[in-house]
Amino acid sequence: MDVSFAITGKGYVIVAADTTAARSIVKMKTDEDKIKVLSPHLLMAYSGEPGDTVQFAEFVERNIRLYHIRNPHGLRPQSAASWIRRTLADSLRSRRPYSVNLLLGGYDTSEHAPHLYWMDYLGTMVEVPFAAHGYGAYFALGLLDRYHDPEGSLEDGLATLRRCIDEVAKRLVVAPGQYKVKVVDKDGVREIAL
Amino acid sequence: MSIMQYNGGSVIAMVGKDCVAIASDLRLGSQAMGISSHFEKIFPMTDRVYVGLPGLATDVTTLHHQFRYRLNMYTIKEEREIEPETFAHLVSSTLYEKRFGPYFIEPVIAGLQKTASGDFKPYIAATDLIGCLNFAKDFVVAGTASDKLFGVAEGLWEPDLEPEDLFETIAQTLLNAVDRDAYSGWGAVVYVLTKDKVIKRELKGRMD
Amino acid sequence: MEAISHAGTVLGVLARDGVVLAAEKKVTGKLLDLSGVKEGGYGGSGEKIFSLNANVVAGVAGITADANSLVNYARQAAQRHLLHYNEDIPVELLAQRLCDLKQGYTQYGGLRPFGVSLLYAGYDPHYHFQLYHSDPSGNYSGWKATCIGANSGTAQSLLKQEYKEEMGVEDAVALVLRVMSKTMDSTTLGSEKLEFATLTLDPVTKQPKAKIYKPAEVDALLQKQGLGKKEDTETR
Repeated sequence: MDVSFAITGKGYVIVAADTTAARSIVKMKTDEDKIKVLSPHLLMAYSGEPGDTVQFAEFVERNIRLYHIRNPHGLRPQSAASWIRRTLADSLRSRRPYSVNLLLGGYDTSEHAPHLYWMDYLGTMVEVPFAAHGYGAYFALGLLDRYHDPEGSLEDGLATLRRCIDEVAKRLVVAPGQYKVKVVDKDGVREIAL
Repeated sequence: MSIMQYNGGSVIAMVGKDCVAIASDLRLGSQAMGISSHFEKIFPMTDRVYVGLPGLATDVTTLHHQFRYRLNMYTIKEEREIEPETFAHLVSSTLYEKRFGPYFIEPVIAGLQKTASGDFKPYIAATDLIGCLNFAKDFVVAGTASDKLFGVAEGLWEPDLEPEDLFETIAQTLLNAVDRDAYSGWGAVVYVLTKDKVIKRELKGRMD
Repeated sequence: MEAISHAGTVLGVLARDGVVLAAEKKVTGKLLDLSGVKEGGYGGSGEKIFSLNANVVAGVAGITADANSLVNYARQAAQRHLLHYNEDIPVELLAQRLCDLKQGYTQYGGLRPFGVSLLYAGYDPHYHFQLYHSDPSGNYSGWKATCIGANSGTAQSLLKQEYKEEMGVEDAVALVLRVMSKTMDSTTLGSEKLEFATLTLDPVTKQPKAKIYKPAEVDALLQKQGLGKKEDTETR
């Protein structure tokens, strides 16, 4: 039931995810943060099988952190994404695979460009200008095809995001109530109140 | 629905006169939903060997990286680039290694093979998902639109096409075949390999 | 350590837009079969300078057999990184990988350490062009210009005098050959005594491009720099 969106623009990536933690048909919590800050310039929104999600996200978080400590410089978004993809792809053919879908937004400080990767639990990865997971994807992708501007300002990006959220609220029976929104750009990661 | 159709995508390769062409669509889907229209499935292995990997997208990336690893080690140790036929057997054995838990990919290989006299002979091949090689003298197809590709290619292909004519033939074959397939399309890319250059062209096609 | 001080000199200079490596070959003679290095391959004659990855070339000094084993290890480490992270291995990381291995042999008894020093010339998006040196104990350090092997002290002081900040790769090539010609025993330089490589950025793709010179190219370069043999010497 999780819904997550991500949009790139001029020098930034916006990542948004709903804050509902549900079990079966019951809402257990409405302020769950489902976007991990993996490094000073990397965000990861995760969704999927409850339990797997948090477990996998923390596993990734700790490994990216370990790489940062061990090595002269941290992983660039592209490399971090490739590593995560491989972890998922290897997991897929293990005894019990992780069922986690991801949106990975980052800002590459060595080439000064934002990057967004769509990834699913199979280890399918592709770089995209905008992306969505969950039921929200069925409503949002069409909107984003129409309204997304790759050169848009942060305000434009947030306005487009708001459109997506409103559309989901209007049409989806099980629409989530609240979202957490985070942005990554050259200055790093920060949370934004919609 | 089969796992081979989960992400969609098709690849075709054709032989011409002293040239070969390989082409694919650019769609990546998640069942019926389109995710990206820039998902390349054809990868250069050397300047003269290209491989197309239609099938399950996670395995497209995994196999591409695996081939790159093995090929780089081959190139650096042998101090020469791999020949298409050798590469085809590398592909075959890599896939058969996973005989009882296969990669869901049906690779297509296109290249120019160096002959004893020093010139180049067109080479194309395809394998099934466990690495059974199929050599062809005319064309090979794979992916969700493979049945349609067979039909159109059968009608359009003729022997000894020059590079430009071969490009036109393979492009029209691919575009018209994927228009009849819901899981392929969203743009296409064509490579034409000749002995002294590789031409890459991206085609728009129907974006619906 | 002893083996390294007798080994052929390897010299590296870092420039603004590239890195230059040169090495003195010790195994020479007109009976040596060099037919394999005339064409094909990635250049060089495979004694001193090796390509480790798309973005790194290395010069080795010391026990050749050990060096070959280390080169193979480095190539695999680089490819493993490429497989895991889909990027060329950062140069310092590759140096570190080898040094971890080398250090291991200083710590555990029963085995002897690798008798090899290496110079790594590389490029990565983090620090751009880089030059590293590693010794048998597993220490490594970054340099603007440095030298290993026989006569490295002399070469080092020459480099110290003549190195200029911010020089281009053309100047670095000239500097390397000048220093090389002064430190090597023989009076004239030639491809039978010298291996040479540069690492620059491809102007079109902006990707690092290593060029290990083939023997004929080394001779051509030496002629151009005015350090080559006179036309009528006995090798013709």
